[in-house]
Amino acid sequence: MALTITNLSKTYPNGVQALKNLTLTIPNVMFGLLGPNGAGKSSLMRTIATLQDPDEGSIDLDGLDVLARKDDVRRILGYLPQEFGVYPKISATDLLHHLAVMKGITNKGERTAMVDAILNQTNLWDYRKKSLSTYSGGMKQRFGIAQALLANPKLIIVDEPTAGLDPAERNRFLNLLSSVGAGVTVILSTHIVQDVRELCPRMAIISNGELLLEGAPNDALNSLAGRIWSKVVASDDELRALEANFQVVSSHLVGGLHEVRVFADSSPGDGFRSVESDLEDVYFINLARQGKR
Amino acid sequence: MAMFWEFFTFELKFRFKSVSTYIYFLLWFAFNFLNVASENFGPIGGSNGKVMLNGPWANIYNDVGIAFFGVIIIAAIFGTSILRDFQRDTIQILFTKPISKFAYLVGRWAGSFVATVFAFSGLLLGEFCGTLAPWADHARIGPNRLDWYLQPFFSIVVFQIFFLGALFFVVAALTRKIFIVYLQGATIFMVYLVSLAAFSSTRSLERFWPGIFDPVGFLYIDAVARYWTVVERNSLLLPLTPGVFLYNRLLWGSIGLLGLLLLWRFFPMSVEALTARSGGKRAALARQQEQDEIRPRRSLVAAKLPRITQVFGFATTLTQLVSLTRLRISNIVREVPFWGIVILMAGISMNNGHYAGRVGGQNVWPVTYLMLQAVEGGATLFFFIVSTLYAAELVWRERDTRFAGIHDALPISSGIDWFSKLIAISFVEFVLLTVAGLCGVIMQTVAGYYNYELIQYAQELYLIVFPQILTFTLLAIFLQTVVSNKFIGHGIVIGIFVIVPILSSFGWENTLYLFGNTPPYTYSDMNGYGHFVPALFWAITYWLAIACFLGVVSVALARRGADDGWKARFAVARQRAPQLVPAGILFLLVAVGSGGWYYYNAHVLNEYLNSKDRRTIQADYERTYKKYLKLPMPKVVAVEANVDLYPETRSFSGTGRFLMQNRTAGPISQIHLSDQKQSFSKVHFDRPFRLVSSSKRSLYSIYQLDTPLAPGEKIEMTFAVGHTSRGFKDGNELAEFAYSGMFFDNGYFPTLGYDRSIELDDPRRRREEKLPELELLPKRGDPAGSRDNIFTTQSDWVNYKAVVSTSEDQIALSPGYLTKDWHANGRHYFAYDMGDVKTAEFYSFVSARYAVKKVVHQAAANPVSIDVYHTPAHAKYDVDDMIDASKAGLDYFEKYFSPYQYRQYRILEFPRYRSFAQSFPNTIPFSEGIGFIGRVEKPADIDFAYFVTAHELAHQWWGHQLIGGRVEGSNMMSETLAEYSALMVMQRKYGRDNMHRFLKNELDRYLRGRAGETRHENALALVQNESYVWYQKGGQVMYTLADYIGEAKLNLALHEFLKQYGYANAAVAQSGPYPDTRQFVEALRAQTPPELQYYITDAFEKIVLYDNKAVSAVVTETPEHKFKVTLTVQSRKMEADGSGNEKPLPLHDLIDIGVFEGKSEEEKPLYLKKEWLTQPTQTFEVVVDRMPTKAGIDPLNKLIDRAGDDNWMDVTKK
Repeated sequence: MALTITNLSKTYPNGVQALKNLTLTIPNVMFGLLGPNGAGKSSLMRTIATLQDPDEGSIDLDGLDVLARKDDVRRILGYLPQEFGVYPKISATDLLHHLAVMKGITNKGERTAMVDAILNQTNLWDYRKKSLSTYSGGMKQRFGIAQALLANPKLIIVDEPTAGLDPAERNRFLNLLSSVGAGVTVILSTHIVQDVRELCPRMAIISNGELLLEGAPNDALNSLAGRIWSKVVASDDELRALEANFQVVSSHLVGGLHEVRVFADSSPGDGFRSVESDLEDVYFINLARQGKR
Repeated sequence: MAMFWEFFTFELKFRFKSVSTYIYFLLWFAFNFLNVASENFGPIGGSNGKVMLNGPWANIYNDVGIAFFGVIIIAAIFGTSILRDFQRDTIQILFTKPISKFAYLVGRWAGSFVATVFAFSGLLLGEFCGTLAPWADHARIGPNRLDWYLQPFFSIVVFQIFFLGALFFVVAALTRKIFIVYLQGATIFMVYLVSLAAFSSTRSLERFWPGIFDPVGFLYIDAVARYWTVVERNSLLLPLTPGVFLYNRLLWGSIGLLGLLLLWRFFPMSVEALTARSGGKRAALARQQEQDEIRPRRSLVAAKLPRITQVFGFATTLTQLVSLTRLRISNIVREVPFWGIVILMAGISMNNGHYAGRVGGQNVWPVTYLMLQAVEGGATLFFFIVSTLYAAELVWRERDTRFAGIHDALPISSGIDWFSKLIAISFVEFVLLTVAGLCGVIMQTVAGYYNYELIQYAQELYLIVFPQILTFTLLAIFLQTVVSNKFIGHGIVIGIFVIVPILSSFGWENTLYLFGNTPPYTYSDMNGYGHFVPALFWAITYWLAIACFLGVVSVALARRGADDGWKARFAVARQRAPQLVPAGILFLLVAVGSGGWYYYNAHVLNEYLNSKDRRTIQADYERTYKKYLKLPMPKVVAVEANVDLYPETRSFSGTGRFLMQNRTAGPISQIHLSDQKQSFSKVHFDRPFRLVSSSKRSLYSIYQLDTPLAPGEKIEMTFAVGHTSRGFKDGNELAEFAYSGMFFDNGYFPTLGYDRSIELDDPRRRREEKLPELELLPKRGDPAGSRDNIFTTQSDWVNYKAVVSTSEDQIALSPGYLTKDWHANGRHYFAYDMGDVKTAEFYSFVSARYAVKKVVHQAAANPVSIDVYHTPAHAKYDVDDMIDASKAGLDYFEKYFSPYQYRQYRILEFPRYRSFAQSFPNTIPFSEGIGFIGRVEKPADIDFAYFVTAHELAHQWWGHQLIGGRVEGSNMMSETLAEYSALMVMQRKYGRDNMHRFLKNELDRYLRGRAGETRHENALALVQNESYVWYQKGGQVMYTLADYIGEAKLNLALHEFLKQYGYANAAVAQSGPYPDTRQFVEALRAQTPPELQYYITDAFEKIVLYDNKAVSAVVTETPEHKFKVTLTVQSRKMEADGSGNEKPLPLHDLIDIGVFEGKSEEEKPLYLKKEWLTQPTQTFEVVVDRMPTKAGIDPLNKLIDRAGDDNWMDVTKK
């Protein structure tokens, strides 16, 4: 299965151009979508999830025209929106059963088995009879994951799924996702670069509605190998000087001092040491490149 | 202080930046603008046409109404002012700063107060601008006096804002729950309505304490001003002197102040205390969640999820629909407000149902139509609230809860999703209707009425009400689909709800364009829903089809997905269109078809006239033909009718013959005929004649006789008469024609000459039509007026006979003795003949499926057959009472007045489309709406059917033996005397002591009647058209006169008067004068001793009011173990003019002084004696044998007194 997105454009009534002629092919794997806030990630995902139509372009899922045959897409879709609420005064079990019926799981036995299993997998079993309005943020997020995975979806779209999860739950979720992800197209948008690194064989970076990079994380990392240099700087003046002269990728505070990462083909000078590139470098360098254009 | 100023101005700035403040202002502006600028709007404009639209009473009444409807606005402004800090969590910032409690609370409160007062000041400006409107009725707009504007505004509206605002503010500050803030306004509103309904249904005349405790004001204005005459209403403000109004204001003002003090005392100024208390539950929840989160984790290895199969198809669609519907129903029923609504609805329904068996102050059996009327009256508003509220909730649910992202991506069709919402609301409404119906059944059971008529419940609730609610629900769903915000949708729905009655009062009353409108209908035990069914069915179908079409549009436009723009929604609608277009077309076709059919019936088969059109026709008639008013006409001396009634088509046809005689001194060459009902044709005279002219609608035709009719000469006129009901009308169905219970009178027969009864009599409507003031009855002694009889100008006395036929299963009746009864051509024929007995020209035709109870009563002159024709369902309630009353009346009237002129007395039930009983010769059509289901629980309870029967029987004397001339005062000689006669029959049955309560109600109705007078009140002997004078005042003063001079004396006067003036003009060839009240009053004076002549003058020739009052009553026990009561009383006597201006009269009057024993409501006189009162204050000492409880002056309210309750008081021990 592969999702082919061709020349997708979308401008909102308020003039914001969320997608600019975006073309992207998402293969049948876990696919990470990285981008800053407002990059158009959610717009893209909502479009694939049949929730909005683009102004132009097409989306094709193995010959299925996603924009025209929304209902067929919805049958195989598992979607977790970035932000969502729940009906108050209804329990997780009841709402999951309801959603399972909506997704065509009409066999009661199958439905119960699935709902029970997924409640267990998302660690909600103990609270399954509680009203959803009493759930904490993390529990609600897990419920969102549970509903997305309900009907063995062939196309899973999860928008910032790990937001609000504690580290242990995040790991559990990533495990769960990779276990259902085999043979399924999973699009995972996140601003946590680590998620992509751990999970996704393929990724894309988008910003301002444009595709900046598409490829395997490892390839992207390899392209930076040996070109990332790090230095701890003592003063703001020094940092300013570095910014003026080099392409500073990022800076972190370490013990109150700035540790600066610089992108350069060779050592930028004294005090710099070569460090291993990571996905964050890829991300920032790509964003910076777009900014320069 | 600076800090206070800071909060105060902040609050003001916030309010003045908010658009809602200006909306409230505009709302009140518009309300009062229309109140003045249009008489069709508002309670004052629509009522008495002499009360100024910008006068003090208008301001008082409107301000109280606003105090009521404004509750919700006051709640919204005050409640939210303090909650804002909690909703937005600004308390975290605020209360960590050193602010004073006073500055914070009072600043916020005062800011809200000023903003609210500003919003309500729209009233003043609106009223003022209304007075400038050029199209307004300036006859009713007085000078703009500042005190008339401001005193009510401050003492009522601003005061209301003060204490309600304080209460809402306190509740909001102490509970800090937005839910409660929104609920409290609505709750006060509803609870007030309920208690007002409960109070008014007790029919209590007690107003003092209820007036003081009334937080809104309808009771205190009733307490203070219920008897205010027009003059007073145009000059008085509610007095700020000790009295109900001031006490009320003091009470509620103190409650408001107390609330603020308590708040100041108990409001904690710390974040910790506030959030801990407000978030008690929330905090517990957070703790719970924290615990949950730290429970031990299980393995991180993800187990495989099971494989499932997805099935899509019709069965799944159904399952989805069921699941969605169940979800949405649970959305509704798991909400607390919903249960609040249900409980309130059931409460109000049961409360109303409890009083379903009280109609016009009388006890009746709560038959199903009454019970349905009662429970529906309480519940209907809730049905609409639920559909408005939950249409919005369900349409916006997914968006409000932000579940839309998940919901909208589910593989379900938008139609199914939409449909589940409709089904959910329908289901809930269905349950509510059933609950309302059950409330009715329960309250019938409680009242001991077990004939439940469940079919009628089902018809009414499920077939008539339910489709209308469904229509409304679909409209609400549609609106919520197209508007961008729930509250705008609510606004439009409420707007439509409100605008329909307003439009219809402006003459826009067509069912076909007033959304959801259906023509009015009345259920009758005689007819069921009868002829209303087709119009109702087609109107409901029409609107339901239109609503369904809107439903289809709303399916097409239903929001789905993230893009709410219209472009996107239209694109989606186009995609959905193929499936929806056929349904849309179907509904449109049904709408066009049913609307077309309705139009054909209401506008093509029948002429469509709105009320304004009808008034214009009347006005044109008066303008064009009034000039013929005094043209001499012959008088009818004999009537023969041959009438075939067709109840199944609500029609009749027939022929009539009038024998007429020139009873004037000159020749008559033209005969003019008025045809108000457009019911006769083929007029033919027994001599050469020609038609000179005939007006549009043949309202007025002039015939010229070739040879004039000489004095004394007779002429015969024949004509065809009939009425055909075609299809159905848009309301305004003629009540005369029914499938069972057809009843019409000689109004369908020709009227000779100009017909005064066509004239408009409402002064407002006359001004609107630019007509001069209504011409009154001529003075007594007017030569022309005296020669006509008060009931009909076209005849004196007639001989009458008729042949009436009807359908096989019905009985047809008309005045006269049945001479023949036969069946032919599948129809039932009856011949009636009055023989030689001359009757007033007043006859009717009645036909229904009757059961008959006949009793022959041996009266003094002849045996009289007393027959009650009633619908079989009403056999067991009032029929025997009516017979008893007839017997008692016959005995009394024959004994004291004169012999009964007939051998029969028949009571004929007719459907309750009209509510009266009317006395035709020996024939009394009696509405099922005012009799037949009466119920007497305690022996002392007044039996209304008994009273009405006696009253109508008395008209066989007063109206059918004695007829006055067509001059002022004559009406009282029929109505007042019938009322008096009936009171005397009642007194025989119930005894003197039980009359007090009945008379007190009569007095109340007289005083209210004169307060509502639209023209001019007249003294009883000069009465024009004031029914409260000739019924209530007349009955009261005659009863009192009997008490003063003795019943026998008074009856003797009546007997003498009747002997001399009865059957005036019956035996002469030329009409002479009829008697008038000068002779009547003389007859009374003849039997009245000299010292009481003043009472005759006061009662009949003036409008006299007393103000009697017990000042103190002290009892001491005498050595002989008797009880000496020292009673001090005040007495004043005033004379009022026709507008209510009063001037004092000297006092030299005989008035009851009484001492009573027994507990409240069961007082029995220990001592009752008339004393001469000459001083404003006098003291009496009375010794009685037993311990008294009450004492006073005129304690039994025999005299007309605006404050009748203070006539007696509790006796205190020394």
